[in-house]
Amino acid sequence: MSGMKEHPIQLGTTQKNKVHNGKSRDRAIRKPKMSKLSLKENIWGYIFIAPWIIGFLGLTLGPLVFSLITSFTDYNVTSQMHFTGFDNYKRMFTIDPLFWTSLYNTVYFVVFSVPLTTAGAVIVAMLLNQKMKGIKIFRTIYYLPAVLSGVAVYFLWMQLLSPSTGLVNTVLAWFGIDGPAWLFEPEWTKPALVMMKMWSVGGGMLLYLAVMQGVPKAMYEAAELDGAGSIRKFFHITLPMITPIIFFDMVTSTIGAFQIFQEAYVMTDSGEGGPSNSLLFYNLHMWNNAFEIFDMGYASAMAWVLFVIVMILTFLHFKLSKKWVYYESGDEK
Amino acid sequence: MKKWLMIVCAGLLAVLSACSSGSADNTNAEGKVELDFWTFWGSETRRPMIEKLIEDFNNSQDEIVVKHTYVPWGDIWTKNLAAIAAGDPPDVIVNDIRTVKIRASNNQVEDLSEWVDDDLKDSFYPHLWDAVTYNDKAYALPFTTDTRMLFYNKDAFREAGLDPDKPPRTWEELKEYSDKLTVKNDDGGYEQVGYYPNWGNFTTHDWMINADNGKGLMEGGKPTINTPAKKEAIQWMYDWKQELGAEAVQNMKAEFGNEQQDPFISGKVAMWAEIGTFYKQLQEFGGDLDYGVATMPAYNENTEPWSTGGGFVMEIPKGAKNPEASMKFIKYLTDVEAQTYWGENNFDNIANKKATEQITENLDGKGEEIFHKSMESLEHTYLSITPPEYPEYENLVNPLIDDALNGKISVEEALDQAQKDVENSKQ
Amino acid sequence: MSNSVIGSKKKWITKKTLIYLILIGGSLVILSPVWWMIATSLKTPQEIAQYPPSFWPDSFKFSNYLEAWQTAPFTRWTLNTLLISGLSTIGSVLANAFIAYGFAVIKFKGKNLLFGIVMATMLIPGFVTLVPQYIIFAKIGWVNTYLPLIVPSFLGSAFFIFLIRQFMRTIPKDMVEAAKMDGANHFQIWWRIILPQIKPALITVAIFSFNGSWNDLLGPLLYLNDENLYTLQIGLQTFKGTVSTQWNYLMAMSTTVLLPIILLFFYFQRYFIEGSNLTGGQKF
Repeated sequence: MSGMKEHPIQLGTTQKNKVHNGKSRDRAIRKPKMSKLSLKENIWGYIFIAPWIIGFLGLTLGPLVFSLITSFTDYNVTSQMHFTGFDNYKRMFTIDPLFWTSLYNTVYFVVFSVPLTTAGAVIVAMLLNQKMKGIKIFRTIYYLPAVLSGVAVYFLWMQLLSPSTGLVNTVLAWFGIDGPAWLFEPEWTKPALVMMKMWSVGGGMLLYLAVMQGVPKAMYEAAELDGAGSIRKFFHITLPMITPIIFFDMVTSTIGAFQIFQEAYVMTDSGEGGPSNSLLFYNLHMWNNAFEIFDMGYASAMAWVLFVIVMILTFLHFKLSKKWVYYESGDEK
Repeated sequence: MKKWLMIVCAGLLAVLSACSSGSADNTNAEGKVELDFWTFWGSETRRPMIEKLIEDFNNSQDEIVVKHTYVPWGDIWTKNLAAIAAGDPPDVIVNDIRTVKIRASNNQVEDLSEWVDDDLKDSFYPHLWDAVTYNDKAYALPFTTDTRMLFYNKDAFREAGLDPDKPPRTWEELKEYSDKLTVKNDDGGYEQVGYYPNWGNFTTHDWMINADNGKGLMEGGKPTINTPAKKEAIQWMYDWKQELGAEAVQNMKAEFGNEQQDPFISGKVAMWAEIGTFYKQLQEFGGDLDYGVATMPAYNENTEPWSTGGGFVMEIPKGAKNPEASMKFIKYLTDVEAQTYWGENNFDNIANKKATEQITENLDGKGEEIFHKSMESLEHTYLSITPPEYPEYENLVNPLIDDALNGKISVEEALDQAQKDVENSKQ
Repeated sequence: MSNSVIGSKKKWITKKTLIYLILIGGSLVILSPVWWMIATSLKTPQEIAQYPPSFWPDSFKFSNYLEAWQTAPFTRWTLNTLLISGLSTIGSVLANAFIAYGFAVIKFKGKNLLFGIVMATMLIPGFVTLVPQYIIFAKIGWVNTYLPLIVPSFLGSAFFIFLIRQFMRTIPKDMVEAAKMDGANHFQIWWRIILPQIKPALITVAIFSFNGSWNDLLGPLLYLNDENLYTLQIGLQTFKGTVSTQWNYLMAMSTTVLLPIILLFFYFQRYFIEGSNLTGGQKF
């Protein structure tokens, strides 16, 4: 659909004429004009991303390169920095037992939390994308958990997950289920955290709600004329239209889930890793190395190993996205 | 239309950057040296106390002015580290006594030995002094310390037919008393538990040290984790857990885990290990609870009633601009007058010996009783110092002990494995 | 004909009831911890220490709110937080929408590589670069100012750039082409065509970044040394002592700190125009 009629832009007539002139000349000498145009596009492109380039060069690149260099040293933040070759990497893969524990815990968390929270957010957004009385209040309530943050929330959850008096097990008991001790049983600590993440799908919900606003009503009306029910409408219109945001949500929440840290840090007595180290996540182990025992070199090496893992995953995400993500604006990368 | 917004922002930013350029110089307008002092004491109760001490110091002389900055607990160390790395640390900071050696070995603190003499050294308890020295040089001065004691509910003792003036002195008595004090519900749960060794502020490591007659998990810079006594301690805890029921133990631990409800104050647990400042909480929330305090029970008649403790020190971060003036302030904070004030008002055990004596004279009633008991307990208090060679030993040992207590592996296996893992982690 | 209308109306009503039931059930789950927070904020310390915890406070001690507020310069800290959050939200919305347009609409050399780098910056955990970044800000003299907390927002963040780019790509391309034909330059297209189209996305970014900035603890804590410059999140920490926590005050202030964000969200919701009629029944 061409939206020009709905979004007229007021331009001076002189400008308009210029364009028309340009166009007619375009036809006459096509080739050289095109390259000039793409030069102009290049300049525009860099103008638009200039703020990011400034930020990247000024604030990010230096620290990034620095962390890569330190991963080959015994850097301790304050004084020493000797080149140690691949020692940190060797130690990670061959000596440090906690590295594997933390990697396992993190992958476990990613595998369960990402699909569940994404699906949860889409469903909640669907429910909240209705024209109904009081929907604004419901939206606010569902968004609440995304706003709540900090230590207070984790304590709230410790209360909810309490084995005998907590709400979660009380509800389970209604259905005759004898709930586990959650944060105190090594097998149940990670599921407990996944559940906690599910509770705060409100942030993701907001994204989907926003993109659902962009789906043209006309499309639904046309489908209705064809006799489509709500399920068909969802799978044939809504779902394809929101795939770019599902994609975004999957990529960023995968990255985010790999970096899970604060929940575990607070809920396990300042980073001790929980019962049998079942909550020792990758970043928690990294943090302990960096700020508890000041082995920043090792922590940087860990960061770069994680970087490579997540980079590969993100790359795969992007590659696969071509198969299922639908862009209204066309299909360039 | 939204241009004004941009203009407002730009203006604000300009104002911010203009008023922000603080003076890097450490002397103020009157020519006094200004010291930046970071603590994590921001609460309603502690803040006025530390600020009173600072004010007294500022008024007592006219060369140095100390400015107090509150930085939240935990994050204060991260901030300090970044500031040291950037070459702009505070002048004085409160830090954890157990990790002074680690900071010294990583060159994060200033060497104070230049200003230390034997008199100063002798004014502190010797085990605290050991903790602040590294390669025979002092890197901090001890400020406070603590020791875990056994608080017990006298009413519960009476109900169980026990003498409220005779707290348990050995493991055997502890178990015996606990059995008498444990009351079951009709529905199989516990109305009251006498004691359980893995609750409160005295848990696995502490009982292992207690069992081994004051020998820590690290002795002489080497791991000593799988000794027979330590294995026995874990086995003892495991058996106790089985007897109470693993699930019940877990459930109750979870209930106390959110740090809000206090099981001792609520009468759910009759004996509870805590440090002296617990007195403050009992005073505030305890109502008319009748309780007593004792040293931790000893392993048997032939061993001492070993307890464990920690504490805080005052130190000068590496690269601070005015170490000499800072040292003057630190000396003041660790001297008799300031220490007496702090100890009397906070119920922390303090590092200065003379001040401790003075406090005992000044106190009376329940406060005196607890303070006295804590001094007795301090005689056999083990300070777990993290050795620079094995900085992460706790992270390696704890999960294995968890596994043993959960019955996943035998105690024997767990501690042998822990010993091996820690040996391998040497840096 | 009229039968089928009634039928579909009936169907719509049962469906509506079902949706309400689900939504209410979910709300209860979400609100229960919030209630616990509010209940704790109204209890006395003695009641909080009691076991088992009470669901309903014995006495509603509203004075906790006032007392908590007075324990520290919270008025000042609120204004500070508002200033930081407000400015960084403005910066974040403008900068990220601007940068994202470059990546979403314009074709230029090196775009894919640069976008790859944008994504890569998301992958490195913040605390590895924490110290080097602190050193940079310290060297240019920005420590103990709000600049390290605000200026980066004006330089874009990978998460938001990616997000807005995704939204922009849901806009049909011929719209941009048509505008170009009419002689609009990219700046005009960005401002007049694209931005109005992605208003919900911009509101989302605004809400997210205000939220992030409002709740940020580590940033202010690292860069501010002067207590007069502190923010609310640091203020909340004052209730957590080394030995015991003043739960009633902590919860009272946590609730208070939450209020502005809830109000903001409630207000900005009007930009999410009412649901896009997925069920279609209302037409009848």
